Amino acid sequence: MSIETFIIRNALRNKRRAALTVLSVAVSLFLLVTLLVAMRELTQPPEDVGAALRIAVRSRISIANLLPARQRAVIERIPGVEAVSPFSFFGGKYRDEELTMFAQFGMDPKQLRPIFGEAKMPAEQYAAFEADQRACIVGKITADKYGLKIGDRMPFTSTLYPCDIQLIIAGIYSGTIDDRNVLFHHKYLEEASGTEGQTGLWWVKAASIADMGPVTSAINRAFANSSAEVRAETERAFQLSFVSMLGNIKLFITAICSVVVFTLVLVSVSTMSMAVRERFRELAILKALGFRRRELFVFILAESFGLAAVGALVGIGGALVLFTQMDMSRVTQGIMLTFEVTPRIMGLAGLVAAGLGISASIAPAISVARMSVVDGLKTLD
Amino acid sequence: MPGAPIVVIRELSKVYRQGEINVTALNSISLDIQAGEFLALMGPSGSGKSTLLHIIAGIDRPTSGSCEVQGVDVTRLNETELADWRNQNIGFVFQTFNLIPVLTAFENVELPLLLTRLSGRERRRQVQTALELVGLADRQKHLPRQLSGGQEQRVAIARALVTDPSLVVADEPTGNLDSHSAQEVLAILRTLSQTANKTVILVTHDPKAAAFGSRTVHLEKGELA
Repeated sequence: MSIETFIIRNALRNKRRAALTVLSVAVSLFLLVTLLVAMRELTQPPEDVGAALRIAVRSRISIANLLPARQRAVIERIPGVEAVSPFSFFGGKYRDEELTMFAQFGMDPKQLRPIFGEAKMPAEQYAAFEADQRACIVGKITADKYGLKIGDRMPFTSTLYPCDIQLIIAGIYSGTIDDRNVLFHHKYLEEASGTEGQTGLWWVKAASIADMGPVTSAINRAFANSSAEVRAETERAFQLSFVSMLGNIKLFITAICSVVVFTLVLVSVSTMSMAVRERFRELAILKALGFRRRELFVFILAESFGLAAVGALVGIGGALVLFTQMDMSRVTQGIMLTFEVTPRIMGLAGLVAAGLGISASIAPAISVARMSVVDGLKTLD
Repeated sequence: MPGAPIVVIRELSKVYRQGEINVTALNSISLDIQAGEFLALMGPSGSGKSTLLHIIAGIDRPTSGSCEVQGVDVTRLNETELADWRNQNIGFVFQTFNLIPVLTAFENVELPLLLTRLSGRERRRQVQTALELVGLADRQKHLPRQLSGGQEQRVAIARALVTDPSLVVADEPTGNLDSHSAQEVLAILRTLSQTANKTVILVTHDPKAAAFGSRTVHLEKGELA
């Protein structure tokens, strides 16, 4: 028999309790990983491959303020600008849905490929999209969800504009980070809503990474002190400005995570204390046989750490396998896109488990260290 | 035959504090125990015999006095030194056997050897020898719950012997056994003293058990009677 065998036998002496302890650690760590992944996804949205060269230009006052179409020509003349497209959120409800889980944007179809090159679609669908002002293209997730195909009609009632629109599907794209959106002609939006000469924002494609900084500054300068001042920023910064609208969601999730960890510590400390208390007499025997405080502490620590480690393996591993195998974008109807369990999150959850194993063993170890052999031997079984 | 004293106790006192009251468990005891002796410590409940045994075995500390075992004053050793000393010099046999329920008889006996530098093979050999000595070589894979009380106590004796200690202390080892098993256990302890020259200190209140010893010492109210 080795010391390891002895520790394992002790850890598994009450199999039901060991299993429940492992399960409680596993479930809690699974929940912790899920919350951390959700927080990461909400606060650090995933980037598209073409994002590095894209600049969003919106009203300096508010994203709700429309920008004048005349700005386009000014932006196009800035050195380093490769393409510009208006981009307006329609905010439509599809058919009679109460809540439509995909967005519709009006844009310049000719600038689709230059600016959003990652959207993959056959050439004839691109051509069909450009050719018909009522045409639209639909992301594959939405097309699959509603069983849409080319030629189908998509009626929308806007919650922002005083109009309804009727779109005809010309193509189904995929390859973007969020294949849910519907894109249609900005011209059609302007005509239907009576907002000619206005756009929600501009998407600008810079020629190179080196141009990103100068182009951004030049756009901001170009409209400074005008009636429609703008804020030009990278796609990343633009995304994060939406995150800030989520308010204190980070604090909220952190609070839940803290409660999960705290509860987990209480459960584990209680379980370990119970496990040690019921074999106080045996630990006294070990002391009498010559085992030192240090060795008894190692036994308790190893047992506690071992149970936490197995729980961590099940919980973190389970989350990793589940979220890797599962299409979380589909499950959450596109609210979460990648739901990636990163090494950093796994490491953090692992650290929590390690801390848990250590903290759960401290109180029982102290009581065992303080226990005299004689008092321990008097303990009832 | 008994040789030089292996245990030398001088002016040993132990006073417990129970709330506001001081309880004297041992009062200035002086006693010599010879090597190879089988000493029976007798006395009524509360006479201090178990306390004396605990101090000799290094699991309790006196309030004053000295207790030398093989020339080492155990009252002066710190916790870690005492633990090492117990492992090398003392074999314990308790009234309630105190085997680890999740370990087999073999593994229970092997337990004290985990603290030594012996190889796995050497450990196995010593455990086999100890189990053969108590007549349980064929029960080595049994868990404590699969053994009778007498067999459990014999495993406990094997565990006490496996490190080859010079002193075996037994605190009421027959208290939980039927008379037949008790005879067997006491006979083993006597054999240890007579043939292996182990010093055995037996705490008992049973005159029949004490009769197995080579000398009987009576304690009464913490003093030698």
